[in-house]
Amino acid sequence: MSDEAAPIHLLLVDDEASLREPLAEYLTRQGFVVSQAETAAAARSLLLEETPQLVLLDIMMPGEDGLSLCRHLAEAKDLPVILLTARGEATDRIVGLEIGADDYVVKPFEPRELVARINSVLRRSARGAPPPQEDALYEFEGWRLDPVKRRLTDPQGALVSISSAEFRLLTAFLSNPRNVLDRDRLLDMVQGRGAHLFDRAVDNQISRLRRKIEEDSREPRLIQTVRGGGYVLACDVRRVAPEAK
Amino acid sequence: MKLKLWPRSLLGQMLLSVALALLVAQTISGFLQVRAKDERREELMLNAAAFRLVASPGREWGRSAQNEGERRESQGRGPHRRYPFSVALERSPAFASTGTDVARPGYEQRLGEILTREGFAFSRLTVVTRRAGSDPGVVEQLRERRRFRDDPLLEQRPMLVAGMQEVPGGEWTITRLPVPEREPGSLRNVAMQTIVLYLVLVGGLALLLRRITRPLAALTARMERFARTREAEGELEPAGPDDTRRLIEAHNAMEARVGALLDEKDVMLGAIGHDLKTPLAALRVRIESVDNDAERERMAATIDDIARTLDDILSLARIGRPSDALENTELAALTASVAEEFEDLGENIVLGETSRVALPVRTTWLRRALRNLVVNALRYAGGARVSLRREAGEAVLSVEDDGPGIPEGDIQAMLEPFRRGEASRSRETGGAGLGLTLARAIAEQHGGGLKLANRYAEDGTIAGLTAEIRLPISA
Repeated sequence: MSDEAAPIHLLLVDDEASLREPLAEYLTRQGFVVSQAETAAAARSLLLEETPQLVLLDIMMPGEDGLSLCRHLAEAKDLPVILLTARGEATDRIVGLEIGADDYVVKPFEPRELVARINSVLRRSARGAPPPQEDALYEFEGWRLDPVKRRLTDPQGALVSISSAEFRLLTAFLSNPRNVLDRDRLLDMVQGRGAHLFDRAVDNQISRLRRKIEEDSREPRLIQTVRGGGYVLACDVRRVAPEAK
Repeated sequence: MKLKLWPRSLLGQMLLSVALALLVAQTISGFLQVRAKDERREELMLNAAAFRLVASPGREWGRSAQNEGERRESQGRGPHRRYPFSVALERSPAFASTGTDVARPGYEQRLGEILTREGFAFSRLTVVTRRAGSDPGVVEQLRERRRFRDDPLLEQRPMLVAGMQEVPGGEWTITRLPVPEREPGSLRNVAMQTIVLYLVLVGGLALLLRRITRPLAALTARMERFARTREAEGELEPAGPDDTRRLIEAHNAMEARVGALLDEKDVMLGAIGHDLKTPLAALRVRIESVDNDAERERMAATIDDIARTLDDILSLARIGRPSDALENTELAALTASVAEEFEDLGENIVLGETSRVALPVRTTWLRRALRNLVVNALRYAGGARVSLRREAGEAVLSVEDDGPGIPEGDIQAMLEPFRRGEASRSRETGGAGLGLTLARAIAEQHGGGLKLANRYAEDGTIAGLTAEIRLPISA
């Protein structure tokens, strides 16, 4: 997957040798250099000598668990992290993303998907523009978007489900209110992690997003179509501090 | 108990029963007391009448003759001195009746018995009661004694008139006595007594019962909460009498046991989930080295299938203890996003009308329920139509397909765990058959329900299946 001469160095942390070893093998076959650690402690000591470009981290481990190590990696080392989780529960995902993980896969994951995600996370961090994890909420026309938890709420405060593609699209609009964004620009802005999720036409995603936030998606008021191929968010956006819980 | 006033609580029922029983007992006892007093009063009156008749002038009382002077004197004294007309003893050839006479055969009989007992022979007895004012003898006496003349009540007083004829056809000896009135306090006494009894008994009972019912109420509240939330924090302090204490202690023991079992179950399921998913993940990685693409795809599908079933089992087991909080969620967006997931997978899914409804739900769970219904429709019918509508206080998430439906008799059974449509028990369709069970459990957890119904074409054949998750919209 890495077309350059220098192979990408990964650190794989999982207490289960039965998974760790074949996975390391597979990733090596895919052209990565893989270091392995059995526990969080082993990972920490290994990190003193090596500097991997990305860490694959199991959440449930005896001793220090993955979440705690993840927090350390994201804060102190500024290393991209992909969590491997056995549970598909939303709370785990949100917690993982909140404490700085860049992505997660749910066991049993498709190895190819994992590779795709590794590349996608690396691409994003290589661009040097990891979106700062600002926790200020976007507010527009009574709607609120939490950029960390990826939660959108309507003016009545009800949660509105959006996919990650829709989330990125909306974030692109919210960071450029009243600016016309053409399809290429949008595609570029939202092509972050999991680009495979975004191989559908931008128009299709826009219409899905409209279905969720427009009063009448046939006569959109918030996200308007601009003649000549583009879209614009036709309202003002404020950043507000998240409510204390 | 159809009676509306009948209380439903132990305390109320006990108090009311005791109060009613007391009322009945006191009524009977009061009635008996009053009657005994009446009886005694009548006895005294009749004895007095007998004494008068026997002791009348010229009569022998016992064996000693009495002189008239002494008798006169005695008539002025005695218990009835206050009633001037009572002293008159009349001798008359006939017993004169007046308009207000009431015959008293009972008195006659008893007076006769008294006289006979005293060894006195007579031929006829007549006893009546009449109003004092209608008696000519009394009226005459009243005229003589001015003191009583102005008392209007005096004329209304009942008076006993007893006449005795000693020998047939002989002279009548007639005596008059006032009928003594009931002591005015007697009924009030009974009432007072009743009230005091009520206060003491009912009050005491209420206090005692509260000692029983209070711990019972606390126990009930706790059990209700436990049934609802399955939280078993702390313990209920045993209180009240021994019986209640033992009940509470037994409940505490049971609650601890149930709590421990639930905890064990959660731990076990978590461990199973983790311990099975990791090797599954390893297997999933290993099959990547299988060269035959078709074979690898089949293996991958099988692993996905196992993983999904595992998720369903874990979810079903965890649903009793929902850890996720309820969150006000816009269901139209939720429905759309579930449909879009399947759209992205290239499935044949159509998103129909969705009306905006916001409800407090557990979003992850509800998505899963809806997803399961869609998976079923896709699996058995190859396509699904998803919609959301409001209907009579309910939000209805509906998934329709044009498949073979379910035989009417099997619809209920379909909701049971590990149950699949008979026709499709092939490997191809896969799944453990937990999808509908889980969808129903989730719907019920949200206070709603899952409804399955066949749709029929005009010619009576099954046109497809409609599965609906109905959630109550709370005001």
